Parts: sequence; structure tokens; C-alpha cells
Amino acid sequence: MSILARPIQGALAAIVGREALVDDTAARVSAAVDGLVPRWIVRPRSLEHVSRVLALAWDAELAVVPRGGGNALALGHPPSRLDLVLDLRRLDRVVEYNPDDLTVTVEAGTTMGALAARVGARRQLLPLDPAGVERRTLGGLAATDASGPLRARYGTMRDLLLGVRFVQADGVMTWGGAKVVKSVSGYDVPKLMVGALGTLGVLGELTLRLHPEPEFEATWLAVFTDVAAAQAFVARLVDSTVQPSRVEFLNRAGLAACGAGDGPAAVAVSIGTAEEAVRAQGETVARFAREAGAWLRPLGASFWAAHAEATALDGAIVLSVGTLVTLVGETAAETERAVAAAGVAATLTGAATLGSLRAAFPAVEPRAVGTLVERLRAFLAPVGGGVIIQRAPAAVRAAVDPWGPVEPGALSLMRGLKDEFDAKRVLNPGRFVGGL
Amino acid sequence: MPLGPGLLDELRRILGPDGLVASAEGRLVYECDMHTFYKGAPDVVALPESTAEVVAIVRLCRGERVPIVPRGSGTGLIGGAMAPLGGVMIGLNRMTRIVEIDLANRAATVQPGLINLWLTRAVQERGWFFAPDPSSQMVSSIGGNVSTNAGGPHCLKYGITANHVLGLELVTGAGEVVRLGGKVADRAGYDLTGVAVGSEGTFGLVTAVTVRLLHTAEAVQTILASFGSIEEASEAVSAIIAAGIIPAALEMLDELMIRAINEGTGAGYPKDAGAVLLIELDGPRAEVLAQAERVATICRERGALDVRVARDESERALLWKGRKEAAGAVGRLAPTYLLQDCVVPRSRLPEIMRALRAIAERHRVQIANVFHAGDGNLHPLILYDDRNPEELERAKAANEALLHACIAMGGTITGEHGVGLDKAKNLPLQYGEADLNFMARLRRIFDPDRIMNPGKLLPSHPACGEGFRPARPRVPEGAWI
Repeated sequence: MSILARPIQGALAAIVGREALVDDTAARVSAAVDGLVPRWIVRPRSLEHVSRVLALAWDAELAVVPRGGGNALALGHPPSRLDLVLDLRRLDRVVEYNPDDLTVTVEAGTTMGALAARVGARRQLLPLDPAGVERRTLGGLAATDASGPLRARYGTMRDLLLGVRFVQADGVMTWGGAKVVKSVSGYDVPKLMVGALGTLGVLGELTLRLHPEPEFEATWLAVFTDVAAAQAFVARLVDSTVQPSRVEFLNRAGLAACGAGDGPAAVAVSIGTAEEAVRAQGETVARFAREAGAWLRPLGASFWAAHAEATALDGAIVLSVGTLVTLVGETAAETERAVAAAGVAATLTGAATLGSLRAAFPAVEPRAVGTLVERLRAFLAPVGGGVIIQRAPAAVRAAVDPWGPVEPGALSLMRGLKDEFDAKRVLNPGRFVGGL
Repeated sequence: MPLGPGLLDELRRILGPDGLVASAEGRLVYECDMHTFYKGAPDVVALPESTAEVVAIVRLCRGERVPIVPRGSGTGLIGGAMAPLGGVMIGLNRMTRIVEIDLANRAATVQPGLINLWLTRAVQERGWFFAPDPSSQMVSSIGGNVSTNAGGPHCLKYGITANHVLGLELVTGAGEVVRLGGKVADRAGYDLTGVAVGSEGTFGLVTAVTVRLLHTAEAVQTILASFGSIEEASEAVSAIIAAGIIPAALEMLDELMIRAINEGTGAGYPKDAGAVLLIELDGPRAEVLAQAERVATICRERGALDVRVARDESERALLWKGRKEAAGAVGRLAPTYLLQDCVVPRSRLPEIMRALRAIAERHRVQIANVFHAGDGNLHPLILYDDRNPEELERAKAANEALLHACIAMGGTITGEHGVGLDKAKNLPLQYGEADLNFMARLRRIFDPDRIMNPGKLLPSHPACGEGFRPARPRVPEGAWI
């Protein structure tokens, strides 16, 4: 391949322009993915560029890692090879914003911060709030299916992505879905692209459903004497007519990270709607807290911003732990024990009414991570739960399967998809489930 | 294509003597769904009672390359559950069990033949419900809802079926049982559950569905507002949404439909109204009361002729009565109708209604409208007399013109009914070659021998079967090779 490098470089420069092609050593080294240094970094300015670059990559069988803000590059297996990093941050236009229809179409490199500012001016929001959300790109959020506390009310990217323009591995520009809030025309291709880590196509443009900002919002915190009490409180909320926006579980370290006090287990609840309805539901939530042995105290609106920042920085290793709603307390306790057995302490947060926990802790030896992840997977397997390593040093992800086992029949279909749409393994080779 | 006698014997062996419908008159019942234009009886109807039986049938048919058509209650509106090429129809109406209700985890698992409303009935006393509510919910099956990704009046707030399906057991066209998704969120791998919902039986047969259940709202408030014109009513819709209120349902009826309903059901909608809005709010009581007041104010500010707020459940039922019986009421205007399901961006409702009136005039047909205004999902009923073939042709031409108009405004050809045989030919209006090619290849992953519901959802390519060939971008020539 090396004898072909120069002509490929010429072709890339012909497509995107010399200025958008980076090949100096320092820049390439700083763009390394899990220690693999790309031969080129390409910064396309249009989807047309992306399409032509991928067509070239396909013909030359280059390995391509697409990237946005670079927040989730430590997700998945280390790539099996790498030639070209496709940096999509220049694709940052809001293509079409229709506030009356509550829809927006953005290029994949648009940051959430930029989008939030634009739609926030009309009192609308895209209700996605994962760790460090401001700096993340919409393409990256979709490719990694990132979510945060607001999913309790609004769901995840799969519920918000209406249409998607993507470029297949061989360069073919493709559209799936619709630009209206309701469509069942053809297969729901956007669902397939969410969380696929760009392995079936590079996301280029996304049409998203927006929501109105609630006219009033309040947040409260209930600190419990143990996780069992927190669990009882969550169960009470689930079986009620209260409609919270967020129900976030926090362990002691989670509370401290958000600067919200001290206690063995806590749940932060927010409600957003008409002011009188927020107050009325707040009284109900306070009663549930009292019945579970805790006092509800109000938190400032800044709590959620603190939460988003704290969880962005909270550990070298981050796991998402999926469990049943009814087992959130037990799962949290088991996770704390498993991480403690590795000699460090876990910061736990997560959407309690969805059984979606997040555990962060400092770097430990790959072997120790393997032990604790296997322990948690064994704990969760009987109820269909699982553990995904969201962030970890490359050595950890080389030693421990970051995705965990996938049901064999389903994995076989997934392999079929990858074989069909990226037989040459151009896109993010090796990073996805089963080493796809 | 007639089935070999060996295949019938094998089916009988798998299903027993009661598990097959093979007589000509028996099969006739299965020749169409509710879109009665499209007729095609299967060569035999198989009525399995277990996943194992479904697997055995699919493997048998695959071996013989015999088409399979899945069917639930047959209430679809798209020519989906009928057999244009004959073959084996698999009716799932005998698989109606509720496998598990797990309210603490907000989920239930059911067999595909279970009637939609039965699930809500099983949990409503404990304060829960299953949100997707197609108008057919008293008779349509959950498997059918999954297959078409069905919507309903309340999906403005709650979303369509896909938003409520957590997992599936699917028997693929290859005869393999796969379990996709489940009660626990955050799963590794592609969202095959998400893409299988709405695949209209082209991937395989769903033999179990795990769904999200929701807690019943504390309060419901229904408001009926009448307006002089569709334009004014549409502006009120936009103003409600702009105020940050997402009602559970936001339905509109036009003048012709109001007349038909008043004559047919005695619902007592205001006679001189050009449009009626039916608005339903649900949620915590204080929220519903506050929002109802604002909605009523907005409607009055936008020139409503009359605003009625239902004071109790019986008044609420009365306000809904006309809406629910709309399709039946148009029977007074014409013997039959074509029902359309296209969508435009909500902000373009006034524009599409003007276009629709022009289309009606041009093709000399009457079009009555009842639709989900909140999400721009139109349901024009194009009236015609089926005893007059020329009138039918005009109705069909108006129908096609309407689809084109919706697409031109950035819409979609189906909002909640699906594609089926009816709209497969229209899919290229909305998608290019590359997009259709992607979908055709996606289908083959699940159904390698193309035996599952052939002819539905995707158009067949005139030149080379399903082989849509997208153009690849040109790579600079001679640059490196």
C-alpha cells in the first residue's frame, strides 16, 4: 500500500483541496485512535466531499474512522487498522430549521451547543443531555446513541431522529426516513443508524424532532439512608401519574461530583410544565420521598449543568450498566462492590426509571476491569441486562470485550448487515460488536 | 402458483387438521385486507399456535421457494395482508396469549395475535395502558400494529408503535428464531428491533412482542372548537404548538366531513363551521387544567365560532363520537371512498388544503377531510361511486395528484398506515435509487430467498428485480491506479 500513498494523497487533495488534507506528523499523531496514527486527516466541507473521499477509500481499501468532537473515540474495540480520519467538524451548518413544525435539519458536525443556542432562541430544545453535551456533535451523539437524564421523559436519539443522510462505505449518498414528524414510508433506516458507530455509513445530515421548552421547571433532591430506600422511592414514582423530566440516581460519589451534598444514595427529580402543575406534582414527589424516609429539598437549575460537566470528567473508565427498573438499587450496590474489589470507588449516576446506570472510576489494570465487568455481566445476564464500556484506555478495551455478548441469532444478522454494506471493512473496522 | 400436494401434506402434519384453511370458500375470506381494491387469495392459510410451528412452516416454504404472507386481523389499509402471488398465508390469530405483564418494569410481553385493546383492558384497572391506539384497536392485532408501525389519534404526544416496542421474537425469512431487544434498555449492537418494526412482514414473522406500558394520565380534558375556515383552524393549531403545548390528540374535520357527521351521527357539531378542531389534553390534573384554559383562549383569539369543553366522561365521548364515526358517516355522501394517509409539515396545512381543493375540482371528485392536524397527517377521503368506472378513475387520479402535492411540500406518502402493495409503486416519489437499493439489500439480510410478503413495501425494479443501482461518485481517474 505504501507505494500507492502518494497518488492517493493527490486524489484526496483533488477532492477536498490541499488545505483540507492534513498529513503533517504532529497533527496525525494527535489524531491517533487507540495508538493507531492515521496517514491522513481529511476535513471535508460538504457531504459531496465525504462521498467522494469514501468512494476513493473504498476503491483503495483504506480504513476510515469518522469523528466529530472526539468525545467517544474510546468507545468500542480498538480499530483493527486505520488510514484516514474523517473529521466532520466543518460540516456544521443548520440546514433547515422549521420552528412551527418542531423540526430541524443539521449537518453532522454541528455541536449541540450551537444547535441549542439556535433553537433555544425560540424556546425549543433537542432533549439530549449526555455528559459534556455542549461540545458534542449531533453526528457523534447519533452514532454513539448517547443520552442523559432527560431520556426519562423524552426517550433517546432513536425517538428523535426522523431522517438521516449518510454516505455508505462505497461512497453512495443515501437518505433514510423523512423530514416530517410522522412517517412509516419504507424501512425505518434512521433507527438502524443510531448507535451503529458509523459502521454502516457515515452520518452526514440529520433531521431531528424538537420539543417545546417547558414553561417552568423545578428540581429536587432526595437523599436516602441506603439504596433500598432509593429503590422504593423510584418504584413509587413509576407507579404514579407524576410525569418527571428526569429521575436521576446518584451514589455518594455522584452526589459529591455534582456538588449536591453527602449521603449513601440519592435521587434527583425534575419536573417541567405549567408552574402550578410543577408545584402540585412536587408535593406528590415530596410525599413519596417522606414515605421512603427522606426529605425532598429543592436544587437550583444549575444542578443539571453541573451534572453534565461532572459526568464528562468523572473517570478514566466509564461503563453503562443496563438493568431492570426494579433492580436499580441492587445493581448499583453490586456495581459499587465490584468496582471496590478492584481497589477504586465508583461514581454512579443514571436514569433510574429506565434502569440505565452509568459507572465511572479511575484507571485500573485491564485484568481488574475484566474481572469486574465479567462479574457485573454475570449478575445482569439472568434479567437480560448488560455492561458496555463507554470509555477506557485502549489496553483495557483490547483485553475486555467492550460490548459484551450479543444474542447469536441477532449477531449473525448484524454480521450480515456489515458484510452487505461494508464488505471491505472500510468504516471503523473492528470497533463494533463482535469485532465488526 | 399452485402448491404441490407434498407441501400441503407437510403443512397438515405440522399444524394438524384444524390448522389449515384450504377450501376455496375458506380462502376467499383471506383474499384482501381493508383495502379491498387489492385481491389475491393464498393457496392455503396456516394457523399456527406456537413459534415452533411458525418456524416449521417458514422452513418448509423456504425449501420450496413458496411465498409467505403474514396476517393478523386483516384490518390493514394498504393491501398488505393479501397474497398477490398466492402461496401460504400465516394467520397469527391463534397466538393471542399475554405472556407476561410486568408493571414494575413498565413492560408486557404478548403474542402477536393479541388484540390491541385487550392489552390495555388487562392493565387498565391497575392504572396502565398501551399507548398506540389505531382506530382499529378494538379488532387489530398487536402483531399487525408492529408490522405496519401503526399510529393513531394520540401519537402526537405518545409516538407511534416503534416508540413503544422494546423487543421482538422474530422468525426470519430464513426460518431462524431471533430475539431482538428486551425489557432492559441500552443494548449493544444495531437496533434491529427498531428497523424490524414497520417492515410489514418482509423480514419474517413476529411471534412475540415486548412493549412499553404507560401509566394512565391523572386527568383528561377534551375541547371542541369550531372555526369559519380550515385556515383559521390551522392557525390555531400552530398557535397551540407555539405555546409549548403538545396535546395528546389534535384532530381536524373539514366542512364536508362536518356535514356528513352531523347528518349521519347527530354529533351536533356547529352547522356553519368550516372546520372543527378536537383537542385532547392529558397528564397531571393541574397541567391539564392550565393548558385547557390556554388552548380555549388561543382558539377564541384565532376567531373560533364556538369552544366547548367536555365537563365529564359522557360529554367527552360525545365530542369524540363524530370523529370516531367519520369514516362511516361519509357513506351518506357517496357509496365508497379512497382513504389517503399522506403527511405534510404541519405549518403547510393551509397550503395543502388549498391544493387539495384544486385537485378535487380538477378531477371532479368530492374530498372529505378528517385528520391528525397536530402532526400534519392527512386522511382525505376521496369519494366516488364504484358503479361508475370512470368515476373510480378520476378518484385514483386525484389520489395520485394528492400524493405528489404532499411530497412537493416536503411530506411523506404514509404517516401511519404503511406502504403495502398499495403504495410500493409510490415509494420512488420519496426515495432515490440509492435509498431504495439500501432498503432492498436490507430486506435480503432477513429474507435471503425473498419469500416474505413479496411485492409489498418495496417496488420491484422494472429492469432487474430488486437491483436498484445507485450511481457511485466518480473518483478522479488515473490518480493512483
